[in-house]
Amino acid sequence: MERLADFAAAFATLVTPMALVHVTWSTLLGIFVGSLPGLTATMGVALLTTLTYTLDRDVAILVLLCMYVGAIYGGSRSAILLNIPGTPASAATALDGFPLAQAGQAGYAMALATAGSALGTLVGIVLLVLLAPPLGEAALKFGSFEFFWLAVFGVVISGQLTGGGSALKGYIAGVLGLAVAMIGSDGLHAHVRFNFGLSGLNGGIGLIPAMVGAFGFAEVLTVMWRRRPEMAQVRATADRVLPRAGDLWRYKGTIGRSGMIGTLVGIIPGVGEDIGAWASYAVARRFSRERDQFGQGSHEGLIAAETGNSAVVPGALIPALTLAVPGSAPAAVLIAALFIHGIRPGPMLILEQPDFIYSVAAMLTLATLAILIFGLSLARVFVLILKVPRELLMPVVFALCVIGPYALTQRLFDVWVMVGFGMLGFVLRQMNFPMPPLVLGIILGDLLDKNLRRGLTLSDGDLTPFFTRPISAVFVALIVLSIAAGLPPVRRAFARATRGAR
Amino acid sequence: MRLDTARADRIAAAILCILGVAMLAGGYTMDRLPQRAIHPASIPGLVPMILGAVLALCAVLLFAGARDDPEPEAGSVSWRNLGLAVGLCLVYALGLVGRLPFFWATALFVAAFAALFAWPETQPAARPRLGLVAALFGLAVAGALSVLFRYGFLVRLP
Repeated sequence: MERLADFAAAFATLVTPMALVHVTWSTLLGIFVGSLPGLTATMGVALLTTLTYTLDRDVAILVLLCMYVGAIYGGSRSAILLNIPGTPASAATALDGFPLAQAGQAGYAMALATAGSALGTLVGIVLLVLLAPPLGEAALKFGSFEFFWLAVFGVVISGQLTGGGSALKGYIAGVLGLAVAMIGSDGLHAHVRFNFGLSGLNGGIGLIPAMVGAFGFAEVLTVMWRRRPEMAQVRATADRVLPRAGDLWRYKGTIGRSGMIGTLVGIIPGVGEDIGAWASYAVARRFSRERDQFGQGSHEGLIAAETGNSAVVPGALIPALTLAVPGSAPAAVLIAALFIHGIRPGPMLILEQPDFIYSVAAMLTLATLAILIFGLSLARVFVLILKVPRELLMPVVFALCVIGPYALTQRLFDVWVMVGFGMLGFVLRQMNFPMPPLVLGIILGDLLDKNLRRGLTLSDGDLTPFFTRPISAVFVALIVLSIAAGLPPVRRAFARATRGAR
Repeated sequence: MRLDTARADRIAAAILCILGVAMLAGGYTMDRLPQRAIHPASIPGLVPMILGAVLALCAVLLFAGARDDPEPEAGSVSWRNLGLAVGLCLVYALGLVGRLPFFWATALFVAAFAALFAWPETQPAARPRLGLVAALFGLAVAGALSVLFRYGFLVRLP
C-alpha cells in the first residue's frame, strides 16, 4: 500500500502540462521509429539520448522511456500491415496480425495490439513497483564475488537465449562485448589497456557511439541492402478500430499471464522483447482453447505476443535500476543515459534516490496512456508512415548517427568508433551473431573485471569464496545449468524426455 | 552471396581465434605494475587473458561445428545498393565531416543519397526534377540539423 502511495505521489508530481507535451512528441516519435522496418527501439533510444544532453534529468528520462515504449509498440504496425516486424520484438505479432489484415481486419488487429501493449506495460509497471525495491535491497548484500558471477550469468544467459539455434554464437558475441570493455583505463588501477597508441582510446569505447553504430548505421545498411518490401494486399482498413471490451475480458487470463511472462523475461539480463513475445505466444498457444487458430489470425495469439513484448519494457528496467544490469538492449542504452544525467543505477540507487523507481513507473504509465490514446485515435495516420521512402529517411538517420555521438564529446574520434561498430555490427548480424549479448558484454565488462580482481584481492588469491558464498553458489549453479541446457546432447535428451512424457 | 554459411563461420572462427590468442598474449605481457606493489591477483592483464582464452576456445568450437544454415535466404538483397550505401556513408562520415563545414557535408550527403537510390527507378524525363528535389531536401535536412545542434544543444559543429 505504501508503495502505491509513493507511486501516486510520483505520478502527481510528474504530470505537468510541459511533461505532457514531452510525452506526446516522444511517444509519437517512438511509434514512428518502431513502425518503420529497420529502425529499432535500441536505435531510437540511442539516437534520442544524444538529443537529451541539455534537458532536465527527469524530462530526459521521461522522453527516453516514451521512445522505448512507443517504439516497441510501434513495431506492431508494420508486422500487421506488411508482415515485416518493425522491430524484432514484433516478429510474433506478424504471425496472427498479418492474416487478420489480409482478412480485412487490419484496423481491429491494430486495436487489439494497442490494447495488448498497453495492458502488458501496465502489468509490467505493477511488477516493477512491487519487485524493484526488494530486489534493490537484496542487491545490497552483493559483494565482489556475487557481482562477478552476476556479470558472467548475464552474458551467458543472454548468449544462450538470443543465439537462436547456436548458443555458441551468442557466447562469442558476449565475449566480444566484454573484450571491447577491456579497452582503455582499467577500473581498479587506472592502467590503460589496449589503446594501440591512440589517445582517443584511453577512456575506453563510449557506449553511445558503439550503440549508435551497431544499431543505427548497421540498420541503415541492412535496410538499403534488402530490396524494397512490397506493401501487402491489405483490404481497406474500414473495419473497427477500437477493441471490444468483451474480447479483452475473454482473454484476461492470457493478458495477465503474458504480462507476467514478459516481465520475467525482461528481468533476465540482456534477453529482450522478442523473446518475451515468443515465450508469451508459445505459452498462450499451449493453454488456448482455440489453439488451431494460432498463426491464422487468432485474436488471442496477437494479444499474447503484444502483451508479452510490451511487458518486457518495465521488466528490463528492474535489473537495470537495481543492479545496473540491463534486461534488454534498449535498457543498456538507458543505463548509459542515466549516467549521463547524473543517476547512478545499481544497489545504491535504492538508498540514494528511493523515489526514483516510482518516478520511472509513473513515466512508464504516462507513456502507456500515450500509446493507448495515439494508437487508437491515429491508427489510419500510422499506415501512412510505412510509405515514407527509405532513400529519404535513411540519410537523415545516418546524419543523426554522425552528429549524435559527436555532440556528446565533440570529438571526431567517436564518429570513427560509430562507423567501426556499424560495419562490425552489420557483418556480425548477417552471420547470425546476436547483438544483445555484445551490448551486455560492453556494459558488464567493467563490472566483471573490477569484481573478479577485487574479489581475488580480498580473498588473497583464493578462489573458494567465489563458489562457497550462498548467492555466488546459486549463480554458479544457474550458469552451469544454462550452459548445459545449450549442449546438443542435453537438448536431445530433454526433447526425448518431453516427448515421452506426453 | 550469403554470410551465414559454414565457410563464413570458419573464416570468422579463424579471425576470432587469432584475436583470442592476441588478447591472451596481450594480457600476459601487460604491465603488472610492480612499482605500485599491487596484489598479484589483481594485475590488469588477468581478465583479458581469461577472455582471450575463452574466445579462442569458442572459436575452435565454432570452426568444428560450422554448418550451412538450412533456412532459405530471407528476401532478396542488392549488393549494388549495399556498396553504394557503404560508400556514401563512409565518404560522408570519414571524409566530408571535419573537412567541410557540417552544413555542406550533410547537404551533399543527403542529396546524393536521396538522388542516387531513386535514380534507377525514375523516368529519364523526371530525373532533372529528382535532382532538384534531392538538393532541396539535402539543404533542408542539413539546415534543420545544423540549427538544432548549434543553437538548440549549443554544440560546436565539426
